[in-house]
Amino acid sequence: MLEINELRKRFAGGPDAPGGKVALDGISFTVRPGEMYGFVGANGAGKTTTMRIVMGVLQADSGTVSWQGGPLGYDARQRFGYMPEERGLYQKMRVAEQIEYFGRLHGLSPQAARKATDDLLEQLGLTQRRGDAVQALSLGNQQRVQLAVALVHDPEVLILDEPFSGLDPIAVDALASALQERCRSGVPVIFSSHQLELVERLCDAVGIVSGGRMVATGTVAELRAAEGNALRVVVRDAAPGWADGLPGTVTVQGDRHILRTTGGDDQEILRRAVKAGHVEHFGVEQPTLTEIFKEAVA
Amino acid sequence: MNGLMLIARREITTQVRTRAFVIGLLITAALVAAVSFLPKIMGGGDSYTIGVVNSQQLPLHTAAPDIEFEWRTFADEAAAKQAVLAGDLDAALVNGSKVLTDGEIDTELGVLLQSVNREVRLGAAGVSIPPLEMVSVGADTRYEAARTGIATVLVLVLFMLLMGQIVMVAMGVVEEKGSRIVEILLSSVRPWQLLGGKILGLGVLGLINLVTILVVGLAAASFSGLAADFPPGIATLVIAVLLWFVLGYAFFATLSAAFASLVSRQEEVNSVLTPLTMMIMATYFVSFYVTNDPTGTLATVLSYVPPFSSMVMPVRMAATEVPLWQVGASMAAMVVAVLVVLKLGSTVYERAVLRTGARLKFGEVLRAR
Repeated sequence: MLEINELRKRFAGGPDAPGGKVALDGISFTVRPGEMYGFVGANGAGKTTTMRIVMGVLQADSGTVSWQGGPLGYDARQRFGYMPEERGLYQKMRVAEQIEYFGRLHGLSPQAARKATDDLLEQLGLTQRRGDAVQALSLGNQQRVQLAVALVHDPEVLILDEPFSGLDPIAVDALASALQERCRSGVPVIFSSHQLELVERLCDAVGIVSGGRMVATGTVAELRAAEGNALRVVVRDAAPGWADGLPGTVTVQGDRHILRTTGGDDQEILRRAVKAGHVEHFGVEQPTLTEIFKEAVA
Repeated sequence: MNGLMLIARREITTQVRTRAFVIGLLITAALVAAVSFLPKIMGGGDSYTIGVVNSQQLPLHTAAPDIEFEWRTFADEAAAKQAVLAGDLDAALVNGSKVLTDGEIDTELGVLLQSVNREVRLGAAGVSIPPLEMVSVGADTRYEAARTGIATVLVLVLFMLLMGQIVMVAMGVVEEKGSRIVEILLSSVRPWQLLGGKILGLGVLGLINLVTILVVGLAAASFSGLAADFPPGIATLVIAVLLWFVLGYAFFATLSAAFASLVSRQEEVNSVLTPLTMMIMATYFVSFYVTNDPTGTLATVLSYVPPFSSMVMPVRMAATEVPLWQVGASMAAMVVAVLVVLKLGSTVYERAVLRTGARLKFGEVLRAR
């Protein structure tokens, strides 16, 4: 179990921000074995800073990261797999050599590194490109090599910063299934993303950060329950102002009025809607992650 | 330690495989070989062709072993005269009593002919004169020209190698920082391993270059006969040059990595390295000056001051004789300087290499907590 507890980080001020900038203001969350944890938040919310602190490439001002009950140290981190936000590969180095090199840096023997590299190249469909320089590969293939670098030492934890950005839908699916496979074998996977539908589809648990704080965290079901279900009513050919006095918000799309509310007397709303025009839809809906996210960071 | 060696090995194998490295090494070797043959081709030893008519050959070669003599026999004076006028002969000895030349005789050859002829005649008459003993009471200046030559070449080689390797260190650091490979690397190795491995690896490449230059240079020199003019103690000098290169490289490469870690883009490497390249240039110019005045006050003083000593001392050692204790003291000072720079440089590198974005300031990074 990976526990992130009360992380705080302030960056030194430059000429434009003399007082410094608070990046993390007490972030806490827990990732269980075999759990896929989606990390979402606006740009600058603190996702990357958190991941970099977990990976030890940045020091927190205070707070702790613990792994399997003890403080996370250098040796345990060697068995983590990491994919930074801005992709880092040696452009002129050959694909297989590069994956093997990182495997060796993570402490694999030459034979084990070669074997793991061959397996990954096979799995990711890169066997044909093993001898090519990384710079000769397409962006999608480079991303696969990047993933291979993160996976080569069969990590105990995977931390991936925006692994899906810039990928086409097919590559997204390939990457998603590679991650799900690791998850099934008990590896906790943390990844950040702006693609909320994807997070909703893949993740067991989600953390929403805003302004360096964790504003909501839990399983998708828990977050939905907390948000509450919403009543959605679609009325055609209604006169403007028909919903005055009713709770919720009305949006207009062409000749359709859409009322969305989490409270109020549904029977009363239905009566008003029928009177106002042609009711096309009346139903209770679970909130999407996008809605939960917007609500949480508002 | 394992991480450090892996990183060093990657630096070496990556570079060694590039065409630029291989071609560079070949060109260097060819240039060095050419330089070693140049004095022979340019200068060449003196040689004379002498005709004889009805005379004995004179033992000129015994009197002047450095000079080559070729003798040709002619039937009569007319034939010899014709050969002299045609330029085939430098001189022709006729009947053991007359020398024919085309115009004034070469001074050296004239004196030689006269004195050897005199000696042979006197010897025949039973008179023997012991040759004058030549004694120099001043410094041994026999090797001065060779020493200056070696020192000049040495300064150039050290300067070019240092400069080249240091730029490579800086570019490598920025490559890793700019592309954020450093984040992955530093999640599996310590900063000192990454820094140390890079400096070590590129240093080994520098040494490969230097050893190539020394081996090719010495081999070509002994092949061309130039080595005969070398002063004694060449082996000591070679070892000293290698040691000084290692020290100078460690000093400048560490600073180079620290400076380079302040920037995130290759375009900024040149400007961030400016203070460092100025320092290396200054060291080079001072050392170049020292080749002309290796015993002067400036040379003596600067051969103790790091980092100047890393180039001035080997130049002094090549250009003149330096007592061993002076070399030791200077080397000790340089080692201390290298240790200080390693401490400062690795601190800056460690703090700056993960701070991507705008260019950072050396002093600020060092002062920050």
